[in-house]
Amino acid sequence: MRGGETIPLPFKIGAAIALTVLLVPVLIVILTGLNSGDYLTFPPQGLSFRWIEAFLTSPTFVPAYLFSFKLAAAATLVSTLIGTAAAVWLSRTLSPLGAVLRTLFVLPLVLPGVVLGLALYVFFTTSGIGLARSFTGLLVGHVIVTTPLVIATVTAALVDFDRSLEEAARALGASPLGAFRRITLPIIMPGISAGALFAFIVSFGQFEVTLFLASPDTQPLPIAIYTSLRYRFEPTAAAAGIFAILLVIASTVLTSRLVNFRRLFGGR
Amino acid sequence: MDATQALRTPRDRAKATVLTRLPRPGLWLLALPASLFFLAFFVLPTASLFALSFNKGVAGSVAFTSALTIENYVRVFTRAIYYEAIGRSVGIGILVSLLCLALGYPLAYVIAKTTHPGRNAFLMILVLSSMQLDMVIRLYGLMVLLGDNGLVNGALVASGLVSGPLPLMYNLFGVVVGLVQVTLPFMVISLIGVIKAIPPSYEEAARSLGASRWAAFRAVVLPLSMPGILSGSLLVFALSISSYVVPALMGGWKVVTLPIHIYQQIAEAGRWQFGAAIAAVLFLTSLLAVAVYQVAARRTAGGRA
Repeated sequence: MRGGETIPLPFKIGAAIALTVLLVPVLIVILTGLNSGDYLTFPPQGLSFRWIEAFLTSPTFVPAYLFSFKLAAAATLVSTLIGTAAAVWLSRTLSPLGAVLRTLFVLPLVLPGVVLGLALYVFFTTSGIGLARSFTGLLVGHVIVTTPLVIATVTAALVDFDRSLEEAARALGASPLGAFRRITLPIIMPGISAGALFAFIVSFGQFEVTLFLASPDTQPLPIAIYTSLRYRFEPTAAAAGIFAILLVIASTVLTSRLVNFRRLFGGR
Repeated sequence: MDATQALRTPRDRAKATVLTRLPRPGLWLLALPASLFFLAFFVLPTASLFALSFNKGVAGSVAFTSALTIENYVRVFTRAIYYEAIGRSVGIGILVSLLCLALGYPLAYVIAKTTHPGRNAFLMILVLSSMQLDMVIRLYGLMVLLGDNGLVNGALVASGLVSGPLPLMYNLFGVVVGLVQVTLPFMVISLIGVIKAIPPSYEEAARSLGASRWAAFRAVVLPLSMPGILSGSLLVFALSISSYVVPALMGGWKVVTLPIHIYQQIAEAGRWQFGAAIAAVLFLTSLLAVAVYQVAARRTAGGRA
């Protein structure tokens, strides 16, 4: 109660309203997916797993879920590898090229997702490199969005890293690579893992970049849910949502174990 | 830490310094894969989109031609519906930023001032997980809540407060609610760090000099949180004007914003060159917001220094 007492009441009320706005839609999705009626009406009917069952036997949602999982895993792998490597150089270089690259690597976050997806689609189609409407093409779009997140998280971890530890290892005879692998890497590992988790979640929920790049047979989960909401209004989409919610809860708990939120957002 | 301290004899330190000063050829190779990837799949595609927007419109064709024309831009800037769409997108972006600030500031303040580690982590997890959850799924929840047969209207009609369902969706109201829901976490996260970095002693000093709680907040805390307010608003604005899925689902294509125009021109009318020009206008609007932000940020920083 130490901290609670210094917060004025209007702020607490405001915070409660904001949390309501954030969490009520999520709660509604869970209720809809577990509701026994055809649709969540007021008051809700009984509890049932019929929509969970419908999701698990659905010819569109299950493949879309697995496809999203595969896509997010691949995007995470690629962006973690290239992002971590780039962050290591960026955190150590003083060359002007470093500043240019730092700007380049955050730009995809400013560019509207629809514009980026469209740009990639135009590029794939006109250049004839065979990536239009392919898994690799989608992967490229996702990696462009997830790599900046990895670079930011790993750079934050490297800023706190005490370089003298690595120097000590080198002084004791370790090769540059050996010192990096045995000293630096284990210490910044939480930052890398957090970046990888962010990348996975962002890729899994990516809609706008995907819009122009997906085709009917390569359809990630958000597009599948969107398509189903556009024409019908079935609770199967909510059941699919429940599985996505479980994934997010697991990853967030995992992230909170890996990184100290207070250090990540804390100022001091 | 202890191991480093033990090594800190002058000789070891000298040795370590020499080793760091040795040129490290090849370290730049680490940045090569990411740089090439971004050059090939970010710089080139964005450049080709701009190039395409200066091509003559040929229905259904994406092929580049060498003849340049500004006809697509003339069209964007001479037809009332595109002016209206630009105005609508920018207006919605500003409104959503203000609403997110009003809602997000108290939440960020509470999280920043909560010192209990467990409670702090719990609040952070709530905000982060609501941000990470797929946007389309959260919008589904809102649609169930706000639709004509939704929970809010169901409760209102059942209680006899209204005779028929209120129009809460497929209009501007629905789009704004959807965008606030989707972008609020970004505002909160931008603000937490900034509020936390303000030393509590500043506020205490103002209070001990006789300022009321509200006056101390307004004169000390609020101005010092300006950088977070600016960056959070910029982020929310940029996300709002570039969102396609929120106006599509919550507006039901009745609230026509720039991203909706882009999608319709390309996916439905096959006008690639014209769609590319609208996309360029949307991108430039985002960049303009960034520029305004930087001017404002410099001004507030200058005021403090």
